[in-house]
Amino acid sequence: MCNKLYRAALAVASAALIAITSLASFSVSAKGVFQSGPDFVAEVFAPQQAVAKVLWLTPEIRAQAAAIVDHPVRGLRIRYHQSESKSAWILEEIGKEMPITIGVVVEDNIIQQVKILAYRESRGGEVRYPAYTKQYLGAFLKDNYRLSQNIDGITGATLSVWAVNKVAALALYYHAQANQNTDAHSP
Amino acid sequence: MQNKTNLNNQSVNGIKTNMIWHRRLGLSTFVVLIFLAISGFALNHSPGLKLNQISLSSNWLLSWYGLELPATEAFNLGESWIYQDGDKTLWVDGKSVAPCTAPLFAAAETADMLFALCADGLLLLTTEGQFVERFSTVDGLPANSSGLTVLDNRIYLTVGLIATEFNPSSFELTATDVAPETLTGSQKALLPLPKPLQKSLRQQSVGASISLETLILDLHSGRFFGQFGVLFVDLIGLLVCILSITGLATWIKRR
Repeated sequence: MCNKLYRAALAVASAALIAITSLASFSVSAKGVFQSGPDFVAEVFAPQQAVAKVLWLTPEIRAQAAAIVDHPVRGLRIRYHQSESKSAWILEEIGKEMPITIGVVVEDNIIQQVKILAYRESRGGEVRYPAYTKQYLGAFLKDNYRLSQNIDGITGATLSVWAVNKVAALALYYHAQANQNTDAHSP
Repeated sequence: MQNKTNLNNQSVNGIKTNMIWHRRLGLSTFVVLIFLAISGFALNHSPGLKLNQISLSSNWLLSWYGLELPATEAFNLGESWIYQDGDKTLWVDGKSVAPCTAPLFAAAETADMLFALCADGLLLLTTEGQFVERFSTVDGLPANSSGLTVLDNRIYLTVGLIATEFNPSSFELTATDVAPETLTGSQKALLPLPKPLQKSLRQQSVGASISLETLILDLHSGRFFGQFGVLFVDLIGLLVCILSITGLATWIKRR
């Protein structure tokens, strides 16, 4: 009886070790660079070729952008790519401690795609799954500079979800500014 | 009758073996379990205890975490001093200008811009030291770029023995005929940071630090001691499972 119990205990221990090892390797694979910026842009605009442009951050744009992301915005200009009314933005926002690189495609002031290009946090990598990012499709910016639709959060990834929400709203704002800003030009 | 006595003896032996192992496991894990319980309690109440607001910055702890100590060297470009604070920020003449992960490999200047090559990207600055934008590996910066040189107002990046020319307007990299040795020889050298700037950096910069919450979390999970620490905590978890099983088995036997 006792030997059987020890065998059972050993089996449970082995199964737990395997499960822990699998979970550990899963969480490691959630970090990394999944797609480079140039590849993302090429994929978004294929078969056409987009024009690289920059949006200069005037004090007004900077102030509103800071209000959207809830912290000061660094840099004097933002690089983006555009073809007709479609633009692609690659922006970074810190989740908890590390920046998340997010690609956002906007067409006619509506989000067409959100993609996590690089994720560097140790937890919360679930935000890169299409099941989550597809929630942003069709979202536009309301008058209060918030997204038009509710985005369901992910347990354990709250800060990453907030970061993606901010970037999605910021990309919509930048798109609107770039399309009414005559200063936006090819570099 | 003989069979019954044998069965009883076996049962008593089983209980004894169970108890022996239960005791051994308990004795070998109790210190760690008490620590895990206390640290888990602290983490659960971290916001209330404000553990994330307590910064630890002793030198041995920073070097254990692989963080750089505050800079004492800098690049001198024209009249500007460019340096990294040992944490995550680039400084120009006493002002924090942009995020920059250590190490700061190189800095260079053209007629209208300054450039700083950090571990996480190439930063473009105005000649006054204002941050313009970043060119990172996601944008196409070659991984492990460690050399940055300006020759004839052209910017060159080097990775080992491979050199490419960088266009700061289009963010394009093109192959170049300039020998990497020439570029390496022309690269700006680190100089001692002037004392007033060192003093100013110490006063203004929070510098590298680890929050008490991070330290407790890493100790709790075993990450503080690297992969072996994590496996050790895993092992303790498994021993607790076995402890429960042996305890339960003894209880059942005694009934």
